[in-house]
Amino acid sequence: MADFPVLLLVMAATSLACRFAGFAAMRFVPDHPRLSAALRATPLSVMAAISALAVASGQVTDALALAAGVALTLATGRDMAAALVAVALAAGLRAAMAG
Amino acid sequence: MTARFSRDGLWRGARDGVPLAFGIFLYGAGFGLVAVQAQMALGPALAMSATVFSGSAQLAALNLMATGQFTLWTLAATILLMNARYFLFGAALRPWLSAATPAQAYGTLMLTGDANWIVTMRAIARGEEDRAYLAGTGLPLVVAWLGGTATGVLGGSMLAEPRTFAADLLLPAFAATMAAGMMRDGAPVLPAVVGAGVALALAPVVGAGLAIIAAGLCGAAAAAARG
Repeated sequence: MADFPVLLLVMAATSLACRFAGFAAMRFVPDHPRLSAALRATPLSVMAAISALAVASGQVTDALALAAGVALTLATGRDMAAALVAVALAAGLRAAMAG
Repeated sequence: MTARFSRDGLWRGARDGVPLAFGIFLYGAGFGLVAVQAQMALGPALAMSATVFSGSAQLAALNLMATGQFTLWTLAATILLMNARYFLFGAALRPWLSAATPAQAYGTLMLTGDANWIVTMRAIARGEEDRAYLAGTGLPLVVAWLGGTATGVLGGSMLAEPRTFAADLLLPAFAATMAAGMMRDGAPVLPAVVGAGVALALAPVVGAGLAIIAAGLCGAAAAAARG
């Protein structure tokens, strides 16, 4: 087995390659309105995926907390504060369920 | 001409990154605790956190190394698989971040994680022009990740379970509210519906990591097809 510095080098190089590759590769892809639309849509798709998986794998209380966060965002437009409220609500609901 | 990359933008990003740091700290502590159990000392654990900077990839690599039966190729493949989503994240950042100098852009990408990528993409949709913003959001996360790792290695067993504070829900909560905020501002709903549907359908088969990548690609394809 290789020494730790070699393992670390492999892990670090692979991690950097993952972080750099998508950004670097897009330099060679010609600009097109459909491509722009796709890139703009990617964050929304990833965010929805992360949220949906959390709801599917979590407890009902977690889903309620996330729903409250979404509702608060839609009502006020303050998404960051709404996220923190959702997390605090989830923590409170878990404590209440455990107690 | 390159875009603005200022101290103001860095500070604004750092301020927005601070709320994310608490959860990152607890997960860093979790990694530190696992590292101790795998007979890893503080120095190597910190070096791993500083260079890999990805909880899922570090835990997977640690598990693999603990088996004692691996090659450099399987180790690289594990990191590649766990971090493949960053390919998508970097591609999505290209139109905005390419306006910075290459040194600024690639330096910034080193500080990119799931949570601050989400917050930054939301900020870009809102009109953030300063390219230092993303690097700023990464700074508190790096500090929290390294601090958490050190705390976990030195005394992790004394820490509370992250679930107690619902820290495991921090990333989904930010993802859900940021997505809601983007749709509130007029972003199309279709990519979100496609992304959620694809993730739910694929996760039981291929796991959450690959399902999220597929969701991003399918949502993007749906938006491209729509034009």
